[in-house]
Amino acid sequence: MESMTQNQLLNTNTQDPNSSLRRPIPWETIETLLHRVQKPGRYVGGEFNAIHKPWDSVTTRICLAFPDLYDLGMSNFALQILYDILNRREDILAERTYLPAPDMIAAMRQENMPLYALESYRPVAAFDILAISTAYEQLFTNTLELLDLAGLPIRATDRDARHPLIIGGGHGAFNPEPMCDFFDLFIIGEAEEVILELVERFSKTRTLPREAQLQTLLDIEGLYIPRFYDANYTAENTFAGIRPLLPKAPMPIKRRIVGTLPPTPIHQIVPNIETTHDRGVIEIQRGCTHGCRFCQAGIITRPVRERSAEEIIENVFAIAAATGYNEIGFLSLSSADHTEIETLLQTLQQQCSGLHLGFSLPSLRIDAFSVALAEGLAGSRKSGFTFAPEAATEALRRRINKEIHTEDLLTIAEEVFKRGWRTLKLYFMIGLPGETDEDVLAIADLAHELRRIGVRLGGRKTEIHVSISTFVPKPQTAFQWEAFADANTIARRQVLLFQNLRGRGFKVSWNKYPGTSIEALLTRGDRRLNAIIERAWQLGARFDAWDEWWNLEAWEQALTELAPESFGSVETLREVTMYRERSEDEIFPWDHLLSGVERRFLLQDSQRSRAGEFLSDCRGICHACGILRHYANQRGAEWRCPQPEGSKPATNQQTAGNEKQP
Amino acid sequence: MNEQNPTTLRMRLKFATSGPLAYVSVLDLGRLWERALRRAAIPLRYSLGFNPRPKLQFAAPLPTGCGSEADWLDIWLTEPREPAEIATALVGTLPPDLHVIEITWVPEDAPALSELMQAVTYRVLLQDVDVTELKAACATLLKEENVLRAKRGRRRHQHYDLRQLIETLNVTPALEPWTAALEMRLRAQAGATGRPDEVLSALGLADVPRRCTRTGLFLSSPADAPSP
Repeated sequence: MESMTQNQLLNTNTQDPNSSLRRPIPWETIETLLHRVQKPGRYVGGEFNAIHKPWDSVTTRICLAFPDLYDLGMSNFALQILYDILNRREDILAERTYLPAPDMIAAMRQENMPLYALESYRPVAAFDILAISTAYEQLFTNTLELLDLAGLPIRATDRDARHPLIIGGGHGAFNPEPMCDFFDLFIIGEAEEVILELVERFSKTRTLPREAQLQTLLDIEGLYIPRFYDANYTAENTFAGIRPLLPKAPMPIKRRIVGTLPPTPIHQIVPNIETTHDRGVIEIQRGCTHGCRFCQAGIITRPVRERSAEEIIENVFAIAAATGYNEIGFLSLSSADHTEIETLLQTLQQQCSGLHLGFSLPSLRIDAFSVALAEGLAGSRKSGFTFAPEAATEALRRRINKEIHTEDLLTIAEEVFKRGWRTLKLYFMIGLPGETDEDVLAIADLAHELRRIGVRLGGRKTEIHVSISTFVPKPQTAFQWEAFADANTIARRQVLLFQNLRGRGFKVSWNKYPGTSIEALLTRGDRRLNAIIERAWQLGARFDAWDEWWNLEAWEQALTELAPESFGSVETLREVTMYRERSEDEIFPWDHLLSGVERRFLLQDSQRSRAGEFLSDCRGICHACGILRHYANQRGAEWRCPQPEGSKPATNQQTAGNEKQP
Repeated sequence: MNEQNPTTLRMRLKFATSGPLAYVSVLDLGRLWERALRRAAIPLRYSLGFNPRPKLQFAAPLPTGCGSEADWLDIWLTEPREPAEIATALVGTLPPDLHVIEITWVPEDAPALSELMQAVTYRVLLQDVDVTELKAACATLLKEENVLRAKRGRRRHQHYDLRQLIETLNVTPALEPWTAALEMRLRAQAGATGRPDEVLSALGLADVPRRCTRTGLFLSSPADAPSP
């Protein structure tokens, strides 16, 4: 049945019942909606460096989607990299789409206009593959809205080979279970290579039904195809594991990595309207060696791979010339760790004087070196200096493995104020494992102490901005065994902070607990969450990251309606999924995915946390997290992993160096 | 082309925008021009201070949702360039819907374009609007002595008189998919600038699908002014 329909589609589009979802939408038709909406520039494309390929000149068409506003989606660098890699291929075209804001969604639904791609104005449903970013959990309900606005059935089992293959990927895919009913497959890990393998294979299966198409993809490493696995639960409603339904289905599914960082996209799309990160981007380093125990990115992006200073400098000038940007942002998880960062910035400052080209360096450490780097970049323009101590007491910093001592922090703050900064921004988490009210009060004490230093050195205009987020125990981290703090605990600790951070010179911001608890639910949930997410979306939940649009009532109602069936009650669901501290032998819904960092290592690190022990930065000494074991054959010269003790030096360094640039 | 002092470092670019670019704001358009000129390696003059900006001056801000057939932008350079050199450098560096029509030298001490602005003409193509009815509505509007409308933004509790800003309104039939074309000439002076969407609202056409294009800028002093 299905393959007949597919043949029909291949032969002629006119017989396809969905043909209105295949032709480009005339510009005049799009234009009729634009006077009704805010920021219409989000919906029109036409950017410099956007790539327009003739539709019929290629064999595979991919639409890359970020399920939130254009302003945010255009700032997502992962999609820029894929756009570049895919469009380099003559037989592939890649276009972009984003989720419109609620006013545009309403206008489109009223006029029956499907979601379209910004290059060709073709409906998203006309593409062969729709790749949707699952970068973080607040994108999940938006993903359903995006599929629905595209005119696609949201559940994978309701779609067939006439519909685009729907693939997900990004950090949120490290627990894909809550969304596994909606996607055909997830790319686990770095997509640069596997996406081409996927396209290649998929393009040869056009005449097959969807299920058979997916079966042919099973032996590509790094793809997780949820329909070929099923999940079990215990009588107590806890999760009991996932098992493959086909012998070919891999177990575990191992994360893909690239041995060498892909070339930097040079001809980056220059948006016509202002976006969140409106600048050129160079990924100077991937991965992080600090081992902060709360940080998922630090685990799932290992190993550290550096781009050489020489290449970065070349990229800077090429991007500036190709885009006209006056600012280039260096992307990494810990910029000051780059081994050549100092000479890199010095060289750039010399070579760029008079060019009106600035640089931004995110994620600096709290140390004198970082302050010096930041000063070099800021010049006379010192807006605010950022510290992320995350915890205010020594004991808690030992638990989270953030190795900063309070006296050092104060000395470095002195340095910051001496050099002319007047605003210090501090990032902290509350609800951390082992945290007490005293730990939280210490945040206020530290902020006051820092303000006193600032006032002494720079005057009464000194401002301390304290940003408080609530800790969520993320999958694939040493803290995956920890509990998520309940509403009362967080409310009490927020009040403690507000009471003690009043008055002139302090600004406090925080994440609202209900939103964070939905994040915790979605990041820790299993397959039973699919129905709840779908129901919440039906009831109006979307834009979960947006204060002005998100809808707690929809979530509460979805939980009330559906939790009894799959968990017994809402309370059980919350307890089982979020509030429970886990035992060593807990089976997690994401255990079938292997990031390369082994569970054994994470468990040891969790035990070290409970014993209050630091684990040193692994640049100096390898702690055998598992990366080198699992990816030894991909090791390249720019990896910053030390040689494990007793092992021979890598023999393929020379080769890897030569392979660097195709 | 103007026969002006070729050593001047001030150049005037006449440009047009259409399609997607009609939907950017005037701030976006400034940024977009800066980037296009940087890509073309035009030696722009930057302001001093801690947030240096290139010196660019538009004649009159183009409303979001409005394309243009004839707008002007003055740019300042650090070293002299022939208009033809700039035109050549801009080939391939402009976004798809931005077109340069003419480049001329302008004396450094010429008044700012915005000081010379007198009036702007727009053409608005409308869907599902009857030409006869629209003509009648325009006639009624022009007969009014005052048309009070709320200001925008922070001063929205205050009113201004839109009628004083409308110089002419003219309605003609239009080609598919449009039904009517409304040509308007609005005053455009400091503190007294008419906006086409305000006129449409006053005519009860706020929600009608439209395409708006600025068709001309009119300046006060013909000696310094470029031809529209």
